[in-house]
Amino acid sequence: MMNRLSLTLLSLLFLLNLRAEELPRPVASNYRLEIGSTSAISTYLSPLRYEGTQYRFGGEWSKAAQWNPENMIMDFRTGFGYSNMLNPTGTAQMLGIDGDFGFGLAWRKRLPNNLQLTIGGDTEIYGGALYLTRNGNNPVSILASGSLGLTGSISWHTAYKGLPILISNTLRMPAISCFFMPEYGETYYEIYLGNYKGLAHAGWPGNNFAINNLLSAKLDFGRTALEIGYRYDYRSFYANNLLASISKNAIVIGIIPNGIGLKKHSKINSSLY
Amino acid sequence: MKKLLPLILSSLTLLLFTTSCHEEPKYIDSPLGTFDALCDIVANRYCFLEEKNINWQNLCKEYRAKVKSNTKQLELFEICSDLLDELKDGHVNLSSGFTTSYYRKWWSDYPQDFNLRTLQEYYLKFDYYQTSGISYKMLTKDIAYMYYPSFSNNIGETSLDYILTLLSKSNGLIIDIRNNGGGALTNIDVLLGRFIEKEMIGGYIRHKLSAAPNDFSKPYPVLYKPSKKPHVNYLGRPIFVLTNRACYSAANDFTAVMKLLPNVTIVGARTGGGGGLPFSSELPNGWAIRFSACPINDGNDQITEFGIDPSPGYEMHSTDAQLAAGQDNILEFALQKMTDKIAKK
Repeated sequence: MMNRLSLTLLSLLFLLNLRAEELPRPVASNYRLEIGSTSAISTYLSPLRYEGTQYRFGGEWSKAAQWNPENMIMDFRTGFGYSNMLNPTGTAQMLGIDGDFGFGLAWRKRLPNNLQLTIGGDTEIYGGALYLTRNGNNPVSILASGSLGLTGSISWHTAYKGLPILISNTLRMPAISCFFMPEYGETYYEIYLGNYKGLAHAGWPGNNFAINNLLSAKLDFGRTALEIGYRYDYRSFYANNLLASISKNAIVIGIIPNGIGLKKHSKINSSLY
Repeated sequence: MKKLLPLILSSLTLLLFTTSCHEEPKYIDSPLGTFDALCDIVANRYCFLEEKNINWQNLCKEYRAKVKSNTKQLELFEICSDLLDELKDGHVNLSSGFTTSYYRKWWSDYPQDFNLRTLQEYYLKFDYYQTSGISYKMLTKDIAYMYYPSFSNNIGETSLDYILTLLSKSNGLIIDIRNNGGGALTNIDVLLGRFIEKEMIGGYIRHKLSAAPNDFSKPYPVLYKPSKKPHVNYLGRPIFVLTNRACYSAANDFTAVMKLLPNVTIVGARTGGGGGLPFSSELPNGWAIRFSACPINDGNDQITEFGIDPSPGYEMHSTDAQLAAGQDNILEFALQKMTDKIAKK
């Protein structure tokens, strides 16, 4: 009896797997332009928080994993940002640049009512700098980290007047990291001389907290899809009695070439739904 | 799962409580808020409070009594700059949209000992080469001369090759850095590399580890490396470095490093100091402040903030009257001593 049951289950699993294997697993490419407000402080540069505008261009590529396309999805992303800020009295300018590369692997569960839930791990390399134009020997605060964290998302697809819409919210948070911070009064001149002691720090959410949340709606027109959304991105680094933190709010406009397959009723194994 | 859920929720709650708890500095953009921020920044970051025997808290208390909630910007600026003058530090500036404060007594209380016009007219005869901001010529058959007025003038390696090639027939070199108020420390590397044969420790740098008083890092050696071929070096011959009180910051550091070399003699007056690498910060009302943050000591780990003395027996001064009459005592003295030194060889 047990043997027959096992055999039936194995056959079912095989068939399911075969069905999944048979479905194409297209890469969902998403190119985003983000514009919004930002504020940043680096106590290495100034005790004041700067505020201004920020721009970011990024790309994200996700795909159902080859070895378990039903339940696992992979995600690779990168982006580069630029920000231009002023101090509260408008007497000094701070410029910011940053970039990130990330790779995530998540377990995916398709739920009833067109819902999809994902939860998984994420690794990210982040680098950037805040440049306070009027400072002399300490003009730049370098921000750099490598992290391992958690990622999760929930998405739901529906249609409005025949237009398929995929609404999703994606959250990422690093859990452990390694990040850069000079010592309290250390100049880059001393680092240039070769004193690298105390620059790298082990991070956890208590000293290197970050959260990145993207709420978006993807409108699938068939040949292409348009994404409209809102992103909140916050990062903070604290070590050696120095604090650096950047907060960003942005309107997101994205393009997904070839659409997401909902309009075309494509027989695909999408990573998005 | 039922057992796991409370654990997950409590972990998330703990996470939220342990994150973002690093408070940002909170200052109010008011006369008192600005004054308090100034006091805090200097108390936390200025590096010579102990060496200068300054009770900063008492000074802040004294000057704070002059600030009122309705104190006007110009008056506040005067109070703040008077307070900063108590540090007696040429690296300290307060900058606003209408002016920048300077502590000038480090040089204004002393003889100038130098006049550029006198040098150019009576010694260089308005006939000299100039590159990378350095004026140079053969002053006599044996003695080469170069005048470097600012370490802010970046010295090109190729320019230095030309200079030292044209001066290579000399038996002694005078490097005049009088009135050199400093600039980029990296220019010391370029210049010094031509005068040393092997790597040397030219000084030690420290930085503050926290806002606590006297919480400094261990001294980190400042290494200088000799310049390698095909660059032109100037080795094994006597070098005089001419200094006055207006030599400051990078010029002060250069003097301290050169003084370590056996063939180098410091001639003239004590330098002005400026042995602390300055940091910048700002106040709630938008003013900028600059102050000494990292002490750079000499090769014997001695403080250089108060200046570098000339070599024993080589102190010399020029009065303004002598300079106006075309007589530069320091340069004359250096030429005489160099001639004697070359003759003895």
